[in-house]
Amino acid sequence: MEDDSDYEDSYVASDVEDYPTSEDGDYGYDPQTEPEISMRRAAYTVLSEEELKLRQQEALQQVMQVLSISEGEAVRVLRHCKWDVNRVNEEWFADTEALRDKIGLVDEQPTGSGRRKESCGICFDEFWVSEMHAAPCNHSFCRGCWKGYVHTAISGGPAVLSLRCPLPDCSAAVPAALVTAVSDPKHREKYHLYSLRSFVEDNQRLEWCPAPGCENAVEALHEVSNEAMDVTCRCGSSFCFNCKEEAHRPVDCETVKKWIIKNSAESENLNWILANTKPCPKCKRPIEKNQGCMHMSCSQCKHEFCWLCLASWQEHGERTGGFYNCNKYESAKKRGDYDAESLKREHARVSLQRYMHYYQRWAENDRARSQALSSKAEANDKKLEVLSEFVATPTSQLKFILDAWAQVVECRRILKWTYAYGYYRFGDNIPDEDTAQKQQQGFFEFNQGQAEMFLEKLNGVVEKDLDNLVEEFKREPGLSEVAPDGSVFVDQASSPERQAVWSKFREQLIGLTEVTRMHFVKLVQELEKGLDQLLAFYSEQPEAEAEAEVEPAAVSTAEASGSATPAQQATAKAPKRSKRSRISSRAAADKASNSAAAFSLQEADSELEAEAGYWQCRRCTVINRDLNSQSCSMCAQNRRGPISAS
Amino acid sequence: MAQFPGRSPTSVAMRRIQAELNEWLLHPPEGCRLESFEPLLNWVILVQGPENSPAPGLPRLYDGELFRLAINFGDHYPLEPPEVLFVPPSPVHPHIYSNGHICLDILYDGRNGGWSPALTVNKIALSLRSMLASNTNKARPAGDMDYCQRTRGRSPKQTNWEFDDDKV
Repeated sequence: MEDDSDYEDSYVASDVEDYPTSEDGDYGYDPQTEPEISMRRAAYTVLSEEELKLRQQEALQQVMQVLSISEGEAVRVLRHCKWDVNRVNEEWFADTEALRDKIGLVDEQPTGSGRRKESCGICFDEFWVSEMHAAPCNHSFCRGCWKGYVHTAISGGPAVLSLRCPLPDCSAAVPAALVTAVSDPKHREKYHLYSLRSFVEDNQRLEWCPAPGCENAVEALHEVSNEAMDVTCRCGSSFCFNCKEEAHRPVDCETVKKWIIKNSAESENLNWILANTKPCPKCKRPIEKNQGCMHMSCSQCKHEFCWLCLASWQEHGERTGGFYNCNKYESAKKRGDYDAESLKREHARVSLQRYMHYYQRWAENDRARSQALSSKAEANDKKLEVLSEFVATPTSQLKFILDAWAQVVECRRILKWTYAYGYYRFGDNIPDEDTAQKQQQGFFEFNQGQAEMFLEKLNGVVEKDLDNLVEEFKREPGLSEVAPDGSVFVDQASSPERQAVWSKFREQLIGLTEVTRMHFVKLVQELEKGLDQLLAFYSEQPEAEAEAEVEPAAVSTAEASGSATPAQQATAKAPKRSKRSRISSRAAADKASNSAAAFSLQEADSELEAEAGYWQCRRCTVINRDLNSQSCSMCAQNRRGPISAS
Repeated sequence: MAQFPGRSPTSVAMRRIQAELNEWLLHPPEGCRLESFEPLLNWVILVQGPENSPAPGLPRLYDGELFRLAINFGDHYPLEPPEVLFVPPSPVHPHIYSNGHICLDILYDGRNGGWSPALTVNKIALSLRSMLASNTNKARPAGDMDYCQRTRGRSPKQTNWEFDDDKV
């Protein structure tokens, strides 16, 4: 796909220019040889209702001219062929008669003289023929009955677009012109709406924007495949062209669908089933006990059993030691009944817990995304103006705050879906010997964690830090502060102190936005590429990986690239590469030994920093070369401590 | 409806039903007799079981039997179909349930219905007679009991019919 201006959010678009790996080749693979992940781009346009009507009219005109048919006929043919003009030409010229028959196009029948009366076939009253209406088949009915017939059909839904003559065995299509001629304005409008909807809904290359209240449609500019394709409507909402759910790159549509069904079904149904039913011992269908008696019969397989001990009712007698023996706990336990049962329940509990883990994180990120979205709107509406006065900067130059918010919104969305991905990608219980799976899980979680950490940081800075800064400015006298005599005018806003504080914040936020963006671009690409393939890239010899922990070459490369900008360095590839293979194997080893305590993050950080030859400030993202220093040379932030406000 | 003063749906329905009644009394369809048309919106028709067999050599399944058919017109007749059902005991037929509901597309409008406002009670009665006459398998539809239980007290017009079998 070529570079087109329609596509705005270039940072999820994995184009090569945006991806800082091609120069040094140290990332482990050359993107040029992997076009399938780096070139997946969407080409589409957003069309308003007016533009859609124009498109529809264009298609109609084209068909009317090529086939020399009326507009009413062209509508039918196009609708039949899903508004695909090429398909119309094919089908029409392959067998014109068959097609005309199928969609009810009949040759115009001669009309008789208008100066005689005829009885209407619906109300049986007599009318002058000139006052009656008919489809091209010329079966006349009075205007009132046509109106009733058409209105009933319009109220019945979009099927009215294939309305046929009221006469039982006549299949002639009722032309749109007749429908609009006899209907009242309200019904006519509805009919036009159905017609436009058919244009979009039957057309494979068009989809409505699913945002409530939005009337735009998105047109794909190429053959549509069944793959996920994120598009952004003019109204600002992003959705997947293929499945109409919200945009969910890098996760595929199938996973999203499963996850959504699971979420809606799980919370209500599964919990209820677990709490209130037992499976029939024979056919395993869940059974709810809705009467008092313990003698159950399965409505499906007719098996009769005891609700308490789940044994067959037939064996529930003298032979098993008395009829109501199942009140005795000991005997049941001795038979081992509860062992298998409780094991099963335990298993259900564990898998529910696992689901809850992913679901909570998914839902929290979803909520955080909505909040970020409204914060962004709030910033746009009010905050920027206030801030603009405090720092004597036009709002046009404060756009980087909105950019940061937009970044948070987008990252929350991606992050959210990686939890659905994680849930399905890794099973309930990965066996210890499956080191490949364990390694992949560790690798995935490490990358996810990295991306999430930066996102949290960015979110905190653009939200809390910015608010704190504004509060601080408020306490100092500002522009509006005028001395009592009215002569002294203190312009704190452009004082050097405040400008210094402000420009530091600005740099920090811009840098952090960029770094976060990088991390998410990487995360998206890695997931789209597939974990197994990716791990193979990072370690050419998977078996020997544990030993190949320290790579001196990597360190020297990192140092060599020291002249790059801080943002690029923050995501410098060399240390990351060895870092990744280390962490993943380490995490895997950790899990394998079933040690619950995770390895110390700080210790890992120190090792990585030593390897890279620098440490990056957590607040302002500046690169510090002094490995022994504990505070940032730029902003004095403590190297390990919590991020402090300016 | 400025150009049709007094054309409320009900008045159209009443005029049309009256016209159908006049036509019926002049030319009743074969094998059918109007037992009652009081009130005008609720007709009961006596339908004789067809005396012919579907083909030479096949048994005459309904010869000598007599069925009652109830037709209940609504205010929107004929734009909407009347409610048509057999008064139990209904004919034993693969498309007729024991509660009298009939699976025949022309009796219903909507998604896959075949009703047309140009159809009349006369034509409905004829269609039902020929449905009986062409049958070779005197049996109830599959799931008859289930269906009757589910639809107790409901109009057949509320059922979501699937008219897939046009052989019988």
